[in-house]
Amino acid sequence: MDIPAMRANFGKAAATGDEAPLYFYSHLFLSHPETRAMFPVSMAHQRDRLFTALGDVVARVDDLDSLVPILQQLGRDHRKFGTLAAHYPAVGASLLATLEHFDDEWTPELAKDWTEAYTLVSQVMIEAADEAAGQPAWWDAAVVAHERRTIDVAVLRVRPRTPLPYAAGQSVSLETDLRPRLWRYYSPANAPRPDGLLEFHVKARDGGPVSSALVRRVGVGDVLRLGPPMGHLALDPESDRDLLLVAGGMGLAPMKALLDQVARQGPSRRVDLFVGFRTEDHVYDAPELRRLEQEHPWLTVTVAVSHDKNSSLAQGDVGEVVMRHGPWLSREVFVAGPAPMVDDTVSRLLRDGVPRQRLHSEIFAPSRPGPSVDGEVTE
Amino acid sequence: MTDGQGMHVSDERGLTPADLQSMRFSRASVLRPGYVETEVDRVLSRMAEELARLVAEKAELRDQVRALQAQMEGMEGVVAQQPPSEQALRILSTAQQTADNYVAEAEEFSRQVTGEARAEYEEQIRLARENAGAIIQAAQEAAAKITANATGAPEGGQRSVEELEEQVAYLKAFGQACRVQLRSYLEALITDVETEWGRADPAGLPPGAPRPLAAPAPRGNTASSTTFEANTAAETPPSGEAGNGTVVSAASGAERRP
Repeated sequence: MDIPAMRANFGKAAATGDEAPLYFYSHLFLSHPETRAMFPVSMAHQRDRLFTALGDVVARVDDLDSLVPILQQLGRDHRKFGTLAAHYPAVGASLLATLEHFDDEWTPELAKDWTEAYTLVSQVMIEAADEAAGQPAWWDAAVVAHERRTIDVAVLRVRPRTPLPYAAGQSVSLETDLRPRLWRYYSPANAPRPDGLLEFHVKARDGGPVSSALVRRVGVGDVLRLGPPMGHLALDPESDRDLLLVAGGMGLAPMKALLDQVARQGPSRRVDLFVGFRTEDHVYDAPELRRLEQEHPWLTVTVAVSHDKNSSLAQGDVGEVVMRHGPWLSREVFVAGPAPMVDDTVSRLLRDGVPRQRLHSEIFAPSRPGPSVDGEVTE
Repeated sequence: MTDGQGMHVSDERGLTPADLQSMRFSRASVLRPGYVETEVDRVLSRMAEELARLVAEKAELRDQVRALQAQMEGMEGVVAQQPPSEQALRILSTAQQTADNYVAEAEEFSRQVTGEARAEYEEQIRLARENAGAIIQAAQEAAAKITANATGAPEGGQRSVEELEEQVAYLKAFGQACRVQLRSYLEALITDVETEWGRADPAGLPPGAPRPLAAPAPRGNTASSTTFEANTAAETPPSGEAGNGTVVSAASGAERRP
């Protein structure tokens, strides 16, 4: 395989911006009309994502050790879209046609190399999908409770029809029939429970099709589809180190899941939870946090507000408030929330001397349609 | 003129079964029975050639069939077909882009509308909270003053209570004056109406009729005017004392700082 030539060829298609993915999908849908139904109405984001993902694969094509696990994850995750082994050659043919269309110096050697590379990629994905065949491709889950907590935050409880195995801190993707083919990642706010219930905290983003529907239109009895869990926030089962959990806004959900796991399984340890919101009005889970704090003597909850001078809650960015309470040098630290909050908190803790390997963070972007090729659920 | 020689005719189109059936060989001679050897040999060699050609052709065809079959198998799932035409691709791409734009516009519109609604909502809440805060603060200050007064407060408190009382007295008087003025105005109005009505239809005028009709109006007016006065009365003292209030909070703020 002539990898530099393939990269140069891919670069030509990628340089056209939206044109190449537009050509690719048009080619795919015309030659295999049955694949159209697997995609949302608007393909704008999909097109961005396809070429970003392909670019990542091309960039790593000579580093199979890191590429293979990514492809396996992609292959498993694609089952929920209804992807079958038979769809892979179709995609390959359209991909080849696209790469050829945007390259004036297309050669039979390039065609051969790409075919070979694509065959390899699809094999890895198909095999991973087949290995996961014991698991459902997706889980139907009925909404059993839907509470509007603030003007734009709702807490949903759903019960999957078959148990959905996951670990506290992970995310699952979900789709509602109200917004077909738009999958978004959410973190359950509880550790796995015997009754299988999952709690999701959803904030309606302005103009966000899925989040608005989940907050304002979904109701008890509606069925959501959940995808396989992923994500890397997790408690180390070997460690019983005391915890520092820092959440910004909706980043509270995975922190509550970790907290729940400590409460359910132990080992008992000190847990300090800091949650930051803009104003006191945004604190959507206050009674629940109070209840947890009363129930568990090992837990301290501090709620901070950054833009509410009249509030009696702790004042300031949550990272700043955390630093006022230290020292945290001996803690295992988990941080989740919007990017600026996570960056700020992590850099403060690092400056303070918390070792990098004990700092675990996850950025909650406003809309999280899918994991990056690194398997991170960050947008 | 033997039939064997006649075979030259069919040379171009190969050897056919009919040729073979119609084939006759000449007698060699009177002395030796049988066909002329050379003729037989020629026919045999032509037959051999023909067979070889057919065998080769059959092999070639069989290979072709196999190749096509293999191609078909490879295409299973990927239905063999013409690649989509450039025109079709352009049409579909344009349609998709149009759809994308509509969706994006709808999302953008929804984003704007909900964004504005949220900003408005938050502003209203903020204002309401500020108002409530001011009212509570005023009430607390008033309460503090009353307690201070009752427990023999220092002179400063006493003086402001006096001021307050003065203001209240003034406002009461003002309210009273307004009420009197309004009432006399309304009464004049009623008298006017009565006279006009009386002139138009004296018989249809029950002696006290306009009064119950007109009475609620002045009462309502005075009521609202008093509440209005009461509002300003309530607002005035805090604004008069606002200096105190800020000094107090600033002082406590200063205490918190170090």
